[in-house]
Amino acid sequence: MEVELAEVRDFLAAHAPFDSLPGEVLDDLPRRCTLRYARRGSEILRAGSMNDRLFVVRSGAVDITDDGQVVDRVGAGGSFGMSAVVEHVPTRYAVTAREDTLLITLPQAAFDELSAAHPVVALHFAATHHERIKAAIGQLHQARRGSAVLRTTVRDMLRRQPVTAGPGATVREAAQAMTDAGFSALLVVEEGRLVGIVTDRDLRRRVVAAGLDPSRPVRDIMTEGPVTVSADALALEVMLEMTGRNLHHLPVLEVDGSVLGLVTTTDLVRLEQASPVYLVTDLARQQDVAGVVRLAREVPAVVTQLVAEDATAADIGRVTSALLDAVAVRLLQLAEQALGEELGPAPGGWCWTVLGSAAREELGLSGDQDHALVLADDADPADPWWAALAERVTAGLEAAGLPRCDGGVMATNPRWRMRRRDWATTFADWSRAPEPEAVLGAAIFYDMRPLHGDTTLVERLRAEVLPRASRSELLLTHLAAQATRMRPPIGFFRGFVLEDSGAHRDTLDVKRGIAAVVQIARVHALRAGSGELGTAARLAAARAAGVISAETARDLSDALELMSYLRLRHQADQLRAGERPDNHLSPERLGSLDRRHLRDAFAIVRTAQQGMALRVPRVG
Amino acid sequence: MEAREATGPPAGRRGWSAWARRSPAPAAPLAALEALPILPRSTPLADVELVALDVETTGLRPRRDELLSVGLVPVGGGEVRLGGARHLPVRPRRPVGQSAVVHGLTDDALAAAPPLEEVLPEVLGAFAGTTHRRVLLAHFSQVEMTFLSAACRSLLGGPLRLQVVDTLEVQRRLLRAQHHELPRGTLRLDACRRSHALPRYAAHLATTDAVACAELFLAQCAELEVRRGRPLVLDDVAERGLSR
Repeated sequence: MEVELAEVRDFLAAHAPFDSLPGEVLDDLPRRCTLRYARRGSEILRAGSMNDRLFVVRSGAVDITDDGQVVDRVGAGGSFGMSAVVEHVPTRYAVTAREDTLLITLPQAAFDELSAAHPVVALHFAATHHERIKAAIGQLHQARRGSAVLRTTVRDMLRRQPVTAGPGATVREAAQAMTDAGFSALLVVEEGRLVGIVTDRDLRRRVVAAGLDPSRPVRDIMTEGPVTVSADALALEVMLEMTGRNLHHLPVLEVDGSVLGLVTTTDLVRLEQASPVYLVTDLARQQDVAGVVRLAREVPAVVTQLVAEDATAADIGRVTSALLDAVAVRLLQLAEQALGEELGPAPGGWCWTVLGSAAREELGLSGDQDHALVLADDADPADPWWAALAERVTAGLEAAGLPRCDGGVMATNPRWRMRRRDWATTFADWSRAPEPEAVLGAAIFYDMRPLHGDTTLVERLRAEVLPRASRSELLLTHLAAQATRMRPPIGFFRGFVLEDSGAHRDTLDVKRGIAAVVQIARVHALRAGSGELGTAARLAAARAAGVISAETARDLSDALELMSYLRLRHQADQLRAGERPDNHLSPERLGSLDRRHLRDAFAIVRTAQQGMALRVPRVG
Repeated sequence: MEAREATGPPAGRRGWSAWARRSPAPAAPLAALEALPILPRSTPLADVELVALDVETTGLRPRRDELLSVGLVPVGGGEVRLGGARHLPVRPRRPVGQSAVVHGLTDDALAAAPPLEEVLPEVLGAFAGTTHRRVLLAHFSQVEMTFLSAACRSLLGGPLRLQVVDTLEVQRRLLRAQHHELPRGTLRLDACRRSHALPRYAAHLATTDAVACAELFLAQCAELEVRRGRPLVLDDVAERGLSR
């Protein structure tokens, strides 16, 4: 009868490559299969053992590991056992049940028959097998840990476009270009090819000391055919090359010979010194805004370096926040000092407070400014001193590379410069507001961290506001509804729902996933009456209070870490390419493992949202 | 104990019922099965051949209700062998009535099916292993055994005597170690499967339910083996005695 084994048939029919098989082949397929079960933690295949079948995960999940490193994680619909069925060699990887797992197995003979009759099957498994081998090799590289010099490639070190000129440009023009860019060397390029290099030293020795006419072409003073280095060389190799030949500048070429940039001894020194600790100390020593701004512009490089060093997104978020805190604090101190001379001392107690991701210490490479001023109850909010302070600091931050907030959530906006008791009233209004729109913009204010000034003002404010928020079912409902509306891209088989138009066509907006976790954690923490700010800490607090399960808390934290990490890596790549960091990941550029993990992360977010939607009492 | 079972049922048991009513020929499949020995209870479970079986009926009273379909699938060596899965519809003597709502088998669908007299030998054949009688595997095996045995008695003149593994009883054993009282519904097939993280199936197709039961059995064995800390033997999971 045709309904026999329909469950197995329909399952296979829903997953590649079986989904492309004709119906009658699918009908016959289950008869060739057996079912097996593997308990969580049990070994399904041992590396090096012989195996005679293809495994398809029916439910549960398995980890495919190479020498202890996870190469791939396979969930329902995924398969393994390809070493045997594709290559006819002993199993390359160990396979362990990550969860209680039900498996469909297809014997070698049936697999061979299927592959011969339907090349799409053979292709699919060969490709999956190949990707897994690639992932395993990639991880081998990553595991080779050491100092930054050992792990960083020249490509990773390049931060700025090189200064170039044609061989016919004058010496004066070349010197001017170097001065403008602040570079000690210039690359002479003809028809896209590197033909020579001119350094500060050349200008000294061959122009000034020799009394050469600066209107002569640079061709006359350049060093022809300089030593170059490939973009994929390791920093270590560059270091050896430079010290060995006593060079201070090395042009970097792409494999095809095109010019990519210039690496200097300073870059190498900075590589080992690109430490956040140096930067924070240096920031505190700066005596003017220009000095702070100059150092602040190094922050992305430090963050990029941390990404290359494989720090966790949570750690990078904390370090970035500490750095930008140091920038803001120094700008605040300098502004306070300058205003003291121009307008006199501050007309009352005040506290500069950061909001949103800065408050949660979850900054990445694409943040903007979100801040506010909380004034003492006896201060006059209309005093021009406050506006002047806000404008100076905001302008300084902007010069430092932090764009102003689109939504105007900044201390420059008089609306967000209030006395403590007015803030309290505003928060109270939000917790009573009948219409959700009033609340949505307010969410960011529940992420409020005092940065500079009288921090007790903010601490007292939060002590008053949080218990009220945790009791306001209306507010929690609105915030929860907001959190469930922020839909992460939804995974379907071997793909994601991508943006389908505009500049970000065929990419996926990872921020939607991150924002959803942030919002979910915020609501849960508020419900738990917790004053925590960080998303992971909020989830932990909500778990401790019994608002969410330990599993949900852990899953959401893991999902956040993964999404944030992938976003950071993407943004670091963009910075290196001279692009503006954004949130739009291209799935094609993610490895299969990352793709799969990302899909898991989105699934976790969706599950948490569904769980919340069920709990939220309907209003109105 | 092993010795008693290995000797099979007392010979006299077989003869009673109305041999006269039926020709002796249909009794042959039962006799063939009876000729095969029962596995010792100490047999390693890895070596035990089982047949997971599920029946659809018009109701739960074997005197009045009828078998409508039998689904079965062999299990052994830690695998469910889908290649051996069978779905055997049975043409009932009377209309299926409202029970069609449960099992989805309509009178029209069953009109072309063979009568129970023809299906029964095939079912019994599935239990004839190469050296031993295969073990019946079912969830709440009472229903399966009652209907099959009643059919054997009336059509073949004797009861169906098999070793039985009941996944409901195995589950009860697994849960008893943890709970004093079991909440209602804990032992239903789908609840048991859920507790072992097995996927949800649309129930009430005999073959699907047989496969579902077989998968549950594999999961239970994996769990039980971890608890016992040793490879399982038939005695760890089988019901006492033989069905009758």
